[in-house]
Amino acid sequence: MTKILLRDRLDDCISRWHAAGLDVIGPVSKNNISQFDTIQKAGELDFGIILPDRTLKDLFFPQTEPMFRYRIGKQQIDTEEYLPPGRQRIVFGARPCDVSAMAIDDPLFGWDYKDTYWFKRRTETVIVTIACTSADEFCMCTSLKLAPDSPQGSDILLRPLEGNRGWLVEELTERGRDAFSLIEGLLENATGDPLPLAVVPVKFDLDACREWLQNPENFESHFWKEISMRCIGCGTCTFLCPTCHCFDFQDEGDTYTGIRRKNWDSCSFALFTMHTSGHNPRSTQSARWRQRIMHKFNYFPGKFSLNSCSGCGRCTRECPVDMGITETLQEITKLSK
Amino acid sequence: MSIQEQYRKRAAELLASGEVKIIIGYGAGSTPDRRRALFIRSADDASLLHVDAACDANLSGYLVSEGLLSDRKKVGIFLRPEGIRSVNILAAESQLDPLQIVIIGFNVENGSLAALQGSGVNDFSSLISTLKESRSTPEEQALIEKIEGMTPEERFAFWQAEFSKCIKCYACRQVCPMCYCKRCIVDNNQPQWVHTSSHTLGNFEWNLVRAFHLSGRCVECGGCDRACPVNIPLRLINRRMAQEVLDAFDHFSGMSHTQEPVLASFKKDDPETFIL
Amino acid sequence: MTDNTQNGQQNIYKPAIMKVVQKRDEAPGVKTLRLEFQDPAEHERFKEHYRTGMFGLYGIFGEGESTFCVASPETRKEYIECTFRQSGRVTSSLASAEIGDLVTYRGPYGNRFPIEEFYGKNLLFIAGGIALPPTRSVIWSCLDQRDKFGKVTIVYGARTVADLVYKHELEEWQNRSDIELVLTVDPGGESPDWQHRIGFVPSVLEEAAPSPDNCVAVLCGPPVMIKFTLISLGKLGFNEKNVYTTLENRMKCGVGKCGRCNVGSVYICKEGPVFTAAEVSRMPAGDL
Repeated sequence: MTKILLRDRLDDCISRWHAAGLDVIGPVSKNNISQFDTIQKAGELDFGIILPDRTLKDLFFPQTEPMFRYRIGKQQIDTEEYLPPGRQRIVFGARPCDVSAMAIDDPLFGWDYKDTYWFKRRTETVIVTIACTSADEFCMCTSLKLAPDSPQGSDILLRPLEGNRGWLVEELTERGRDAFSLIEGLLENATGDPLPLAVVPVKFDLDACREWLQNPENFESHFWKEISMRCIGCGTCTFLCPTCHCFDFQDEGDTYTGIRRKNWDSCSFALFTMHTSGHNPRSTQSARWRQRIMHKFNYFPGKFSLNSCSGCGRCTRECPVDMGITETLQEITKLSK
Repeated sequence: MSIQEQYRKRAAELLASGEVKIIIGYGAGSTPDRRRALFIRSADDASLLHVDAACDANLSGYLVSEGLLSDRKKVGIFLRPEGIRSVNILAAESQLDPLQIVIIGFNVENGSLAALQGSGVNDFSSLISTLKESRSTPEEQALIEKIEGMTPEERFAFWQAEFSKCIKCYACRQVCPMCYCKRCIVDNNQPQWVHTSSHTLGNFEWNLVRAFHLSGRCVECGGCDRACPVNIPLRLINRRMAQEVLDAFDHFSGMSHTQEPVLASFKKDDPETFIL
Repeated sequence: MTDNTQNGQQNIYKPAIMKVVQKRDEAPGVKTLRLEFQDPAEHERFKEHYRTGMFGLYGIFGEGESTFCVASPETRKEYIECTFRQSGRVTSSLASAEIGDLVTYRGPYGNRFPIEEFYGKNLLFIAGGIALPPTRSVIWSCLDQRDKFGKVTIVYGARTVADLVYKHELEEWQNRSDIELVLTVDPGGESPDWQHRIGFVPSVLEEAAPSPDNCVAVLCGPPVMIKFTLISLGKLGFNEKNVYTTLENRMKCGVGKCGRCNVGSVYICKEGPVFTAAEVSRMPAGDL
């Protein structure tokens, strides 16, 4: 017998989770943007959107976060460590692409050295994913060999039922089972027909692209200049990418006291790799776009056997000049034929 | 012949005759309703060009791409009136020689396409003069009036909520033809004038620095507003600053390529209301 | 390979506090700081993990962190020495640190020179300008166990006499009979009393003509010097696999996460900074 979570029970579930000390977070549309936010009531959740404008990464790797407060004295330097607040959280209603992206970044943030901030939040968070029953023209999870119901990274996977009445529950991890044991009794022991999954056409040939990218001859291909000519070098595609993980450290304060912060940074920015001497290994926008594509589809899979892309499509959806991974990999697919 | 066909033909002629080395125009985008910048060097590719109401990007920023104009050869570019004003400002600020720019002008009025006659910046002077008089759409005007009607506290709260969304992707800067600095002030760290972090303070600093830097220079093409991935109504800030400069100095940016930059020039009769 | 995992750190971005115990002017704008750990546990961790070739992030709170090699050898782990040119925000503030001041250090990170594999071999060290510090770490690591190696040749050049760093050590090496030291400055960079070679490192190296037989070369310098010296080493018959060099790139984290130091697929912070010339030649030149 499968379990069903009825939509009209969601408020009760949220109350139970709150009572157990969990923060409940979900996609919220407010102030002309949709993003993950803490909620009190189910009514605040926006189930109508295919994907929030902002990614799930925000919850694990915020755009700016304090790491240390320092106080410099004559004889000593005192540092006080800031760590994520330590609240247990349940994210309700993330999408498989966003959640897969967290699983993609786990090995990176754990590559020999464990990033304190990432893993603290990862272990404090239960993710309840809702499989996609609709997609837009930018969605491309299937091109990445993922699917509208990919389970990677999720603790619970929900499949929407006919008539918007609720979801079929699939418990995927111990953490997910624990969180759902808190709402025991609110779930129905029943079965139902899930809505058909979104149809997401495959847009490029990932394997062919990888092979093309691995060929050293293509590193200097004129293709990179052509495809990136209109790139303006902003950080939209990287900051709205659920897997992009690059960051910077910045100290803010005066000579005696201040805060060291960890901030998002972007391989699109000219300054990203600039040496103090003025030498810049990636001095042109085409070299920077090549780095982004190479990193995601060649270097990262080479290290971690995963593509650093989960196919959310935000890079194309949000690009001010209508570029994106989809177009580039479609063109590479053509070149590789 | 449709306007689009006429313009394709003109672009092909400009390239075929060798008058211009490249055309910066619009091509098909990733969806039927998107247009994207297209760079063509051969007359054969002119058929890829699109001109229609969806062509909203101000392409003039590409003119100051490193090295594009250094060979003194001419460049053809599709521009709306705001883009033509941008070219004037870039020329006035010594960023380009207007004689190198062949303008293929068009306008979109009430959703429909209109051709513009002329090819050099001076050919559009009277058009720009008329623009000075009619500037906002009714929706924008309503929003401006709403914000103007707020108390300072309400207005601060409004912008605080908006700027709290900023992620410092700098799309607004990168897409802006006026932001051509090789090294933006926010990228300087000796000294660090502006916080690079995108917390509320850093976001305020960035957006206000940009607003002031664009005062008297912005042509209100709306590029930053459209580029912003977190939907901050940036256009409102720039419009407000443009109004300020218009009221104080009767300055409408981009009137001509000899117009002096208003905040970098001094006139004896400039109002000095800020001196107490 | 040394253990390159976490180094026992809790928060991998938290630096150790170091006291400046010595400060030397090496050349115009180039300084060496000798730093001592303030926390014995941090010091123990360093002693356990540090091997020659590894790097660190040196910093001042309020200014930031900057990456350079540990210039002191693995045979002397009571302190850390770093030598740097004052050029950006962090190095400027480090340069103004005085004896007794506190600075920060994170590391040691990266890979190392496989010194055990050099046992029984002749060693050729080639360095240019400010790149003597990484070479010097290897030089002392070998000199401190001199009997394990064959002939030691050091070729060091700088733009001018003033730009030569570690002048006191050059003098010491000059006076040792178990080291052949070849010093050179670029044409025009000599002082009136300069008694050594005048010429660029690659041509001076070719004149010195060290034998490639049973020899390992360690080469550090600015990119243009590396490029031409590799050609010269090739002419002398050196195999790329026996030539070691270090690469540097802008870094923030030092531990493979911040995403900026890779050359092609290779992360300098994790898989470097020490590479053989053979490894470097497989990297995409357009990314260096």
